Amino acid sequence: MNTRLIVGCLALSTTAALAQLDPAKLAQAPTDSWPTHNGDFSGRRFSPLTNINSNNVSSLSLAWVHRVNAQGNAIFGGAIKASPVVIDGVMYFTIPDHVWAVDARTGHEIWHYTWPSHGGIHIGNRGVSAYGRWLYFETPDCNLVSLNMKDGKERWHKQICDLDQMYFASAAPLVVGNHVVAGVSGDDLDIPGYIESHDPETGDRQWRWYVYPEEGSEAAKSWPSVDAMKHGGGMTWSTPTYDPALNLIYFGTGNPQPVIAGKGREGNNLYTESIVALNPDNGKFRWAFQSSPHDTHDWDAIQTPVLIDGTIDGKPRKLLAQAARNGYFFVIDRETGKNISSTKFARANWSEGLDKLGQPIPNPAKMPQPDGALVSPNQAGAANWPQPSFSPKTGLFYINATNAYSVYYIYDNDEKPEGWGGNDRGGYSESMLEGIDYQTGKVKWSHKWEGPGGPRSGVLATAGNIVFAGDMQNNFVALNSTTGEPLWHVGLNSGITNAPISYELDGTQYVVLACGDTVYAFAMFAK
Amino acid sequence: MTVSKHMATRWTHVLPLALAVAVGLPLSLPAQSRRSLPEGPGREIVQRVCGSTCHGAELVAGKGYTRDSWGAVVNSMVSRGAKASDTELTEIVNYLATNLPPKTGAAGAGGAGFLGGGSDEAQMVDVAAAERGRTVYIAECITCHGVKARGGPRGADLIRSMIVLKDRYGSMLGAFLKAGHPMQSGKPSSSLTGPQIVELSHFLHEKVGDTLRNGPYSKPINVLTGNAKDGAAYFNGAGGCNQCHSVTGDLAGVGEKYDPVSLQQKFLFPRTFATPRGGTRGHVPPVVVTVTVTPASGPSVTGVLSHLDDFNVSLRDSEGNYFTWKRTPSLQVVKHDPLAMHEKLLDQYTDKNMHDIVAYLETLK
Repeated sequence: MNTRLIVGCLALSTTAALAQLDPAKLAQAPTDSWPTHNGDFSGRRFSPLTNINSNNVSSLSLAWVHRVNAQGNAIFGGAIKASPVVIDGVMYFTIPDHVWAVDARTGHEIWHYTWPSHGGIHIGNRGVSAYGRWLYFETPDCNLVSLNMKDGKERWHKQICDLDQMYFASAAPLVVGNHVVAGVSGDDLDIPGYIESHDPETGDRQWRWYVYPEEGSEAAKSWPSVDAMKHGGGMTWSTPTYDPALNLIYFGTGNPQPVIAGKGREGNNLYTESIVALNPDNGKFRWAFQSSPHDTHDWDAIQTPVLIDGTIDGKPRKLLAQAARNGYFFVIDRETGKNISSTKFARANWSEGLDKLGQPIPNPAKMPQPDGALVSPNQAGAANWPQPSFSPKTGLFYINATNAYSVYYIYDNDEKPEGWGGNDRGGYSESMLEGIDYQTGKVKWSHKWEGPGGPRSGVLATAGNIVFAGDMQNNFVALNSTTGEPLWHVGLNSGITNAPISYELDGTQYVVLACGDTVYAFAMFAK
Repeated sequence: MTVSKHMATRWTHVLPLALAVAVGLPLSLPAQSRRSLPEGPGREIVQRVCGSTCHGAELVAGKGYTRDSWGAVVNSMVSRGAKASDTELTEIVNYLATNLPPKTGAAGAGGAGFLGGGSDEAQMVDVAAAERGRTVYIAECITCHGVKARGGPRGADLIRSMIVLKDRYGSMLGAFLKAGHPMQSGKPSSSLTGPQIVELSHFLHEKVGDTLRNGPYSKPINVLTGNAKDGAAYFNGAGGCNQCHSVTGDLAGVGEKYDPVSLQQKFLFPRTFATPRGGTRGHVPPVVVTVTVTPASGPSVTGVLSHLDDFNVSLRDSEGNYFTWKRTPSLQVVKHDPLAMHEKLLDQYTDKNMHDIVAYLETLK
């Protein structure tokens, strides 16, 4: 630890803070910090804090509000979708091309960094990651940028993808050891997905793993040709999780290309729409489980692979669970990738059942058709990128889930469709917060939200027997995590647009979330 | 404090053709409202509904679609939770169709992709030049590279070609063709003139654009595949549609009013925005959801639902009085949604039912 980095000039409230991440924090459950995208490596988004609990949550106070568009000027378009990171009393969050550091106790801005953009899709940025004194984030125009935590000064930037092929970058990277693991985005043209690792000090690329299998391998037979495979998509839209004991990172991959028109890519299309395990030191492939073989509905399987140390049939197991966009909840052995259970957690009419690997078998009749096929879920999915949560205390996996229908069409009947070649139209959806028992895959409780639509709010479970989530009516809601009973709510200016986090400073526990351009911090103040 | 606030710059998209070839250098212009919405009636609603919760208005600005495509985009957003009244949806589609029509080669905003994907410095297609480039393409390239430039056994896929994707106004293509490449006429490819190469470049970039989600192939081909007789039977039988609708009453002439795709979308998802054939749509009475609230202590109140969540319910009665209650176990709340049956039916329809109903509704002229 470098003690020269004590921050004096920045008004960091009452404590002299080191603007740097203590690696020991990464091995602990998050308490006085939220040091990674999901709080810890497991992806559980579980806070062990109990100052806010199911008995006292109704007396939660508003601690501070930080609006990035000061004075109501719409300078910064879009919503805060980033999961903030909190280190040494400072919170870091993003929107595309922008990073802010604010005081986690007061919400006051410490610094703001702007990246001069040269393009790319500005649909969202999922946040920063940290290593030592440095932050890392991706820009829509395909750069991985490192900033100094102390003052937001740029240290270096590296190109990680190619705008001319319509890649862009939106994910929050994951730092594991001395690897900054960064995924890429983009599904306009038929380009291959990959994930790569960079040296946190120099920014140099250490390895890149392409989502397609090796030519000539058994898995490559899931494509009709090498050409189709190498233009087959599979973007790495979200932040991996990590098991330090197994030294494996886990992430989901996106849709195959062409997206909707599957003609020309017959087969399962490995390793698109799969949960993949890699060695972070060298990018070597360990195993994959395909959530959506031969998908034709844009159901990216990039939902957080949540790591659970649990019990199945009385035996302790290292598990991984995913509530996938296609409506299935998968529980997998994360050492081997072998399936334990596959169950539906929302409407899904597109499958003919499960294959011997526990993977759903797509029903050809529910693939997009020239005259339309009525399909559930819709393209937005039964779940999407907003993060789920898992509480080891209740054994429940929490997800903001959606029941939805739309009509999927083939627009391009060409022998060799490209790009999308179709799309879905219209739709109906309703949503609910669910608590799923990981041991059985069954929904233990489901709390339906009023109103149509699917929420874009992630979920946070805490040891205080609470699960926090957004509903469809702009409410931020605390529910009893054992029963699903709503306990407290606050009506905000718009729907919740990120996933809540929690941390405790000076005996005060905070819960922080974002709605559009505004960050809200609620607190149970220390007595 | 703002640490690094560079003035964003962008490159002009339209260059004199000869200059582009000769110099290959873009000019820089300052960014001005590159990602903001043009002025026009309905702009505020678009800003509020489409530019706050899920994404910014900058995703919308700079796109260019037909009315039909904008309608499809808006419906898809409604299905994802965009909140707007029926009237507002009409205003939104009107605003988008009027102010953001398909791009025709003028300098746009962001890249060429569906949501502004690609580089801000990407080539903007000059449609007239692309049309001239098509002539060159047909004369010299089409046999091997195909009608859509997607290649075949004899020629590479040009949509996926890095030479094409990296090309700006012939910068890459020119060098490639100067080096020599077989042509249909047997002439050396180095004989192509500078302007011809630029025109070919515009044509190929246009073909790349055609494969995108905003391209010309982005609409249903034919949804009239059902059996009208079976549709009528379902309408009057298992579907129970005739319990609320009459083909000589509210649905009279509906096959005339809407095209088949709109018919399909409207009966499945009645809150869908649809433009009648041949024009913008007039006033459509909004679907009114009502609610009856009965407190333990008092009489029931019925009115138009204003807000309902887990915690509160509010309504406006027929005299315009506004009521709101905190929800408790003893408070009875009964919602009456006239479209609820449509939502229930989604679990019941087969795809054959769906196609048959469209065929039947289409006959109601």
